[in-house]
Amino acid sequence: MTTTDPATRTSEPAATPPSGGPTGMAWVRENLFPDVWNSLLTLTLGPLLAWGVYALGRFLFVTGRWEIITVNLTTLMVGRFPRDQLFRLWIAIAILAVVIGLALGVANSVARAAAVESGDDYHRPWHEPIRRFGPPVTLLIVMGVFVRTATPLLLLAAALGLAAVAYRLGRMIPIRRRGQVNLVVILGVIGAQLAITGFDGVPRSVWGGLLLTIYFTVGALLFAFPLGVAVALGRRSSLPVVRGTCMVYIEFFRGMPLVVLLFTGWLVLPFFLPPQFPTPDIVTRAMVILVLFTSAYVAEIVRGGLQGLPRGQREAAQALGLSPWKQTRLIILPQALRSVIPALVGQAISLFKDTTLVLAVGLTELLQVARIIPGQEDFRGQGLFAETLIFVSLIYWVGSYWMSRESQRLEAKLGVGER
Amino acid sequence: MKTIPNAHKRRWRSMRLVAGGLVLALALAACADEDAEVDDPGTDIDDADDPDVDIDDGVEGEEGDDGEAAPADSGDSLLNTVQDRGAVVCGVNDAVPGFGLTTEDGDFEGFDIDFCRAIAAAVIGDADAVELIPLTAEARFTALQSGEIDVLVRNTTWTAARDGGEGGAFTLPTFYDGQGMMVRADSGISSIDDMEGAAICVLSGTTTELNLETEMASRGLSYEAATFEDNDTLQEAFIADRCDGWTSDRSQLAAIRSAFPDGPDSVSVLDEVISKEPLGPAVRDGDSQWLDAVNWTVIATMIGEEFGVDSSNVNDLVESVDVDEQPALARFLGVAGFDPGLGLPEDFAVQVISQVGNYAEIFERNVGPDTGLGLEREQNALYTDGGLHYPPPY
Repeated sequence: MTTTDPATRTSEPAATPPSGGPTGMAWVRENLFPDVWNSLLTLTLGPLLAWGVYALGRFLFVTGRWEIITVNLTTLMVGRFPRDQLFRLWIAIAILAVVIGLALGVANSVARAAAVESGDDYHRPWHEPIRRFGPPVTLLIVMGVFVRTATPLLLLAAALGLAAVAYRLGRMIPIRRRGQVNLVVILGVIGAQLAITGFDGVPRSVWGGLLLTIYFTVGALLFAFPLGVAVALGRRSSLPVVRGTCMVYIEFFRGMPLVVLLFTGWLVLPFFLPPQFPTPDIVTRAMVILVLFTSAYVAEIVRGGLQGLPRGQREAAQALGLSPWKQTRLIILPQALRSVIPALVGQAISLFKDTTLVLAVGLTELLQVARIIPGQEDFRGQGLFAETLIFVSLIYWVGSYWMSRESQRLEAKLGVGER
Repeated sequence: MKTIPNAHKRRWRSMRLVAGGLVLALALAACADEDAEVDDPGTDIDDADDPDVDIDDGVEGEEGDDGEAAPADSGDSLLNTVQDRGAVVCGVNDAVPGFGLTTEDGDFEGFDIDFCRAIAAAVIGDADAVELIPLTAEARFTALQSGEIDVLVRNTTWTAARDGGEGGAFTLPTFYDGQGMMVRADSGISSIDDMEGAAICVLSGTTTELNLETEMASRGLSYEAATFEDNDTLQEAFIADRCDGWTSDRSQLAAIRSAFPDGPDSVSVLDEVISKEPLGPAVRDGDSQWLDAVNWTVIATMIGEEFGVDSSNVNDLVESVDVDEQPALARFLGVAGFDPGLGLPEDFAVQVISQVGNYAEIFERNVGPDTGLGLEREQNALYTDGGLHYPPPY
């Protein structure tokens, strides 16, 4: 199983393999049977690997009883979301498709402009989109296998079409209007949520499945990252009160298991809120806890980045006569954040998987659905846990892998570790 | 009980500190100066801050005491709160077939779910005005005490500890269950006394495990417990001969037996009942008006069956009942101008039965012979049919 390290591949495009490398048998001899010990290793591990692949393939395609996924696909996606209100979800997806398409379009034209300015020849290798979008597309295909009617597929295709149109539009928007586009994106995200909950809609307490998982991941990331950066800066402040509180904050939330925090927010909070004060609903509380917890970790990661910067950077910025805020925003943060991208993405991936813990506070996220459905009348007592767990693992894996790929792309683009 | 409020106060303080710190941090982030030279005096000032924190603590402590007393005895019954809110929040189980489960269409279904809907029908007049919160066995009573749920309808056994220390107040049982023992039909075991030295499969962390221990000890039998997290893995172990007996609630055993891979006759449930398991709704202690409302909703479903009132004929009966000839029925249907003072609408029983059904209907729909569980009424029949349901008169 020889794989080229993707990181080296992307960051060093010059290192293309020489054409006409070893062919067929020569490759096998060179890589699998170069000497006695390696031959032995190949002969031992080869059959084991083959058997593993065979067993997995046999389960996936022959013995696995996948009807439970087919029947419950909607439940896995949205939990107990009322089925007659699903159109709201599609409206939200359409809104998100448009704003994400717009944002990507603008980002693309910015990247182009930057490339033109620096004199680089900006072009993408033809296989980049495949590598970027391969995992999510694979997931979509898998879901397509389980879908019973064509409607969701058609609607999804329509949403992708909308995104493509918006992408084209986004590329036409002049770069100086970026600020307005950011505003549109924020409004779009709010609008998407309103489309589901507003206008006599579906309260978040009945959301479930993948919808809830994505909602928690994206929502917590959006709030935790800025908060984490602010706390990291506060932790390095020269003002003792600020530094002290930031330290207490970080140590407090890092020192508590997430489950304990979730339970506290869920069961203990009502005890000390005044009775007249309406307790926020459980989804809000879980979201706040996830944000507080994640931001403490983000703060420490960002602090690492800040400490890694040579002091000369700040001094140079001061010498230029920049205000303290501009020093931080233009000189310090961009460099500090760039150097900690891998750790930040690691935190994002870990948050994505940590959202499974909200099942402890009575929310039916993706994993909980997978645990419940084998108890249904049609599937009871048949031990279908393997099928449901494999299916949700695939979703978690695709999400995590996709995030890690995007981070590698970002690192390559920003030249992490090269300058 | 005592330690919990203190813990809250401490948490509250820290939260306040943190929140205040955050606001400051955000405001001052702009001025963040990374020069390390000022660090040393900073540490001292940091320490000097501490008295400040303590003063804050004192004030918070008093506030905390007020807040803590308020939810339990604020004079206002939960009944009014629920009616104002327009929804009943029920703590339920989302993974027990027949009692509470998410269906393929994303609905919640089950015996317990129906009783939650019945409470909503009685109190609010709309069986759909429910909010169902799935709870784990460990979290259920904490959720009830914290006011996170209004009523716990989660196949919960009524025990002294739960009625007392855990702060629950139970209504009449909705379902009489009991722990039983299932063995392979060809094992030659006909009584628990035959099970000396046997390996017994049991779910971990349940009262079932404890009851088994008590029962075997009282019979002077030695045994080996094999514990599992869920019924599916337990079943695989049972089929693989890893244990001789399988103990669980008899309702669950009946369901498992009816869907047993080798056919229901390959296993048998012993006649002995190891423990009594009266399952029923519970509310928070100290709110008798709300307890009455929930209790009489349960009773109304049973009286409905007693009077032969079901969802198909209830509306006709309301029209046709003669107050003089059938005064009891007329009172029950709320057409006799009789208000028992429960704080419920006069026609609450009609709402319950027309929207959800009487006890027999709820039973048949969720756990009866035509369902996957295939349970007979047995002890869950009315007293007139030889069962244990003896509803107080209306």
